[in-house]
This record gives sequence, structure tokens and C-alpha cells, in this order.
Amino acid sequence: MVESRTLSEGVWIITMAYPKTHNPFADDDEEDEQQPRSRGGIDEPDEIGLSEAERKQRYLQQQVMRTANSAVESSQRSLGLIYESEKMGTETAEELMRQGEALKRSERMVDNMDEDLKTSQKHINSIKSVWGGLVNYFKAKPEANKLPPEQPVGYQASSKLQNALSQSKVHEDKYQASHPNLRKLDTGGFGATASEDDNSYSQNGYPANKHLRAAHKTLDSNLDEMSVGLGRLKNLGLGLQSEIEDQDASLDNLLNKVDKMDLKINKTNQQLKNLK
Amino acid sequence: MDNSGKEKEASALMAEAEKKLKSSQSFFGGLFGGSSKIEEACDMYVRAANMYKMAKNWCAAGNAFCQAARLHLQMQSKHDAATNFIDAGNAFKKADPQEAINCLNRAIEIYTDMGRFTIAAKHHISIAEIFETELVDIDKAIAHYEQAADYYKGEESTSSANKCLLKVATYAAQLEQYQKAIEIYEQVGTNAMDSTLLKYSAKDYFFKAALCHFCVDMLNAKLALQKYEEMFPAFSDSRECKLLKKLLDAYEEQNVDAYTDAVKEYDTISRLDQWLTTMLLRIKKTIQDDESDLR
Repeated sequence: MVESRTLSEGVWIITMAYPKTHNPFADDDEEDEQQPRSRGGIDEPDEIGLSEAERKQRYLQQQVMRTANSAVESSQRSLGLIYESEKMGTETAEELMRQGEALKRSERMVDNMDEDLKTSQKHINSIKSVWGGLVNYFKAKPEANKLPPEQPVGYQASSKLQNALSQSKVHEDKYQASHPNLRKLDTGGFGATASEDDNSYSQNGYPANKHLRAAHKTLDSNLDEMSVGLGRLKNLGLGLQSEIEDQDASLDNLLNKVDKMDLKINKTNQQLKNLK
Repeated sequence: MDNSGKEKEASALMAEAEKKLKSSQSFFGGLFGGSSKIEEACDMYVRAANMYKMAKNWCAAGNAFCQAARLHLQMQSKHDAATNFIDAGNAFKKADPQEAINCLNRAIEIYTDMGRFTIAAKHHISIAEIFETELVDIDKAIAHYEQAADYYKGEESTSSANKCLLKVATYAAQLEQYQKAIEIYEQVGTNAMDSTLLKYSAKDYFFKAALCHFCVDMLNAKLALQKYEEMFPAFSDSRECKLLKKLLDAYEEQNVDAYTDAVKEYDTISRLDQWLTTMLLRIKKTIQDDESDLR
């Protein structure tokens, strides 16, 4: 397969005089495919003297370097994206907290309105009729039952999250151990497909070529960072979800109270109009 | 929509309202329900103001709302007066920021009188925003944000208070009032640490606090960094912490290139925003000054 490819590429190389200008929006795959063809034609005109095998070897080495570099760059980009998502997540979280506080405040105010309406209802009763006034006097003072003005409580976010977090960590470890793809890959295997030179291996599985080694190391550390970042993102997402659920329940509660309040206010208005 | 027609209608309404007012103050008007006349005049002013808004004549709309507000004050309905002042402020925002601020201030007075601190705080923030953008007066903006934060804290809305405090800190650091900024960032950071949702932003606050320490003195920054790592172990894993350590090392060695490299490396993954860039440049300048001093 490699031989036939080299032949057709030879024809390709002659026709392509200059490398295509770098298009940042082109797919990574496209870049990888285009560059080898064009670069192979440009940079070593004196290579004609070298044997076919050596030229192929050098070409493959360059391809390896290119792939490694583009992999490193792509992992950098992914890392940047992960951090950006985290930042947006934290800002969302702050907004959610603020909203939660506002909801609690609104609920408190609606409760206050409820109490006020009860008082005004009493007054209307006494105005309406003497009998009503007497009834009022005998009704055990409901003002004693009035809620003491609630101490405004500091807002606490959902604590169900703590359990979810500890559980998910336990599961995560088990999952990683069992899933075949997540088991640490043997980087020796990586080196085998990369180059055909047998004596370029060093003992620890990283290829000896120092540029390649640096690229692989960066790639590995980036991947580690990415996995940690993704874990954080997942926890953030879980936290946001439970917070939103709580607020959802709060909203429903509030809606009910406000509806009841609306009815009461209408009734009171009617009574007042009739009094006139 | 015939907007110029609306304006004429609006001016007609205003004239009518004024006439009603004058008539209510006369002897007979006072006898026969002067107050309802004032109410009607109020309504007319509001309607006229809305029509001016449709015609985009913001100044006239603001004035009409102000008139309506004053009438409400006469009738002792403070709530309505305050609402109308707010409407006036919003209308003036687009034309005359100074007038807007006056109206908003009056509304805030009424609200604080009634004890409605949350709404007053919200409008302090609006005023501060006007100072930020249109009449660029950062000191007054800071003062208003601080006032808003105090009111929010009084009403136990810590996250809204924190939002205002953070703005205060950003501007304070820009104006080199580092001590204030440091206090605020540390306080907000410590609060955020304990919350399940907010702890993800805690590292950001500690990073900014450490940078402010750095602008003052490097030793402060080192001590602060250690303190934060002890308080908040997750901070040590963050990239911000690693960047800080690299910057501290570069500063100790007086090596400007290492400093620039570290900053560039951080920038490739997460873009540095305006504030961060300003602070980092200030620190870099102190390195360069020291270098030239030694020579």
C-alpha cells in the first residue's frame, strides 16, 4: 500500500509547485493530507541522490512530527475550550445563586402580604356589620398566631450535591478500572506505529527523537489536564442541575401563593366596593 | 406610527393637566374634591410622558414624569412618586445623564425612607453604571457600588452584595487602591470556598487578590499565596496558582523574559482580559525598573 502511494505521490509532487496557503478553517485532516504532498516536493531537491527507502523514511518521519505537532495543538485548543466552559459555568452558578436569593425574598414578601390581607379582612368584617365586629372580638386573637417577622436567612445552596459528589467519585474510579479504553495505554505501542526505525526507541517507550518525545510529553500532560478539567465540569454541571431543581420547586410554590393572593385581593376589593 | 402627531397630543395633554392643577388650587376646586383633580392631573402627566416616549422626546418625557412624581408626593403616595421618578430617570438616561442621576437619587431617598433597601440598592447600581459609561467618574461609581453592596448585605442578599463588591474591587485595583481590593477579593473568595456551587470561582478571586498583593510587594504575594493554598487546597492545582509561582520566580531572578514567557503560555490556553493585562504589565514594569536601578 505504501509503495503504490509513493508512486502516485511522485506524480502529485511534480504538479504541485507550492504549498497551499494555510487555511485556519480547514479541517485538521485536510491539512495533514495536503501538507505532506506539497512539502515533500519542495524541500529536498537534492534528495534524488538518496535511495528510495531513505527518502521514504525521511518522509515518514516528517509526517510523524507533523501529526504529533497538530495533536499537541489540538489538545491545547481543547484545553482552552474546557477552561472557557468552566468559566461560563461558574458565572452561571453565581447568577443562579442570586436568582435563588431573589426567589426566597419574593416568597417572604408574599407571606407578609398574606398576613396584611388577613388583618385588612378583619377590619372589613368589623366595618361591615356589628355582628361581624362581635364575631371578630370573640375570635381568638389570630394576631398572636402571626408569623414572627422571619429572620432573613442566609441562602444555602443545595447540599444534596455533597452526596452526589462523593458517590460519583467512587463510581468514577470503578468505571475507569473496568473500561478498556480508559486503561492507561502502553505508550510503547504508540511508538511502534509511528516510525519504522527500530533503533529509535528508548527504554521507557518514548521515542528517542527528542522533539517527538517533547511533543508526546506535552500531549500526555495536556490530556491529563483535560481529564481533570472535564471532571470539574461534570461536578459543576451536577451542582447546577440540583440548584435548578430546587429553584424550580421554589418557583412552583411561589406561583401557587401568588395565585391565592390574587384571589384574596380581588375578594377584598369587591368587599370594599360593596361597603361604599 | 405618526410620532409627531403624538408629540402634539402630548403637549396638549400637558397643557390640560396644568390647567387642571391650577383650577384645583382655586377656591371652588378645593371645595369640590381638589384631590381627585390632582389625581387626574397626575394621570394626564403620565400619559403625556408616555406619548413623549413614543415620539422619542426623552427630555420632555422625563420632565413630565417628574411633574407627575411631584404631584404624587403632594398626595402622599410615596410609592407612586418613587416609581415615576424612576421612569423619569430612565427617560433622561438617553438624553441627559446628569438629570437622570438627580431623578434616581430622589427616588432612592424615597425608597430608603420607606425602608425598601433592595430596590434602593438596585437603583444605586443603575446610577453607578451611568457613572461608569456616560459620565466617566470612577470614584462616584465606586461610591455608589459600595452603597449598593451595603444595602444588599443589610438585606442578606450576599450574592448580589458580592457582585457589587467585586466591581468596587476591580476599579479600586485599577486606581491602585490595592489594600481595598485585596480585602474584598479575600472576603469574597473565603465566602465562595464554602459553597458547593461557588467554589469553582473561588480560585479566580484568590488569583486576583494575589496579583494585587504582588503589585504592592513581592513578599506579600508569596505569603498570601501560601495562605491561600492552605485555606483552599484546590487552589494549588489550578493553572492560576502555577502561573503565580512562575511569576514569583521570575521576579526573584529579575528575569523579564521568563515573566513574559510564563504570561504568554497562560494566554495560549485562557485569554487574559483587560484587567489582568493591566495588572501584569504593572508588575512587569516594576521588574524592569528594578533591573535598571541595579545597573
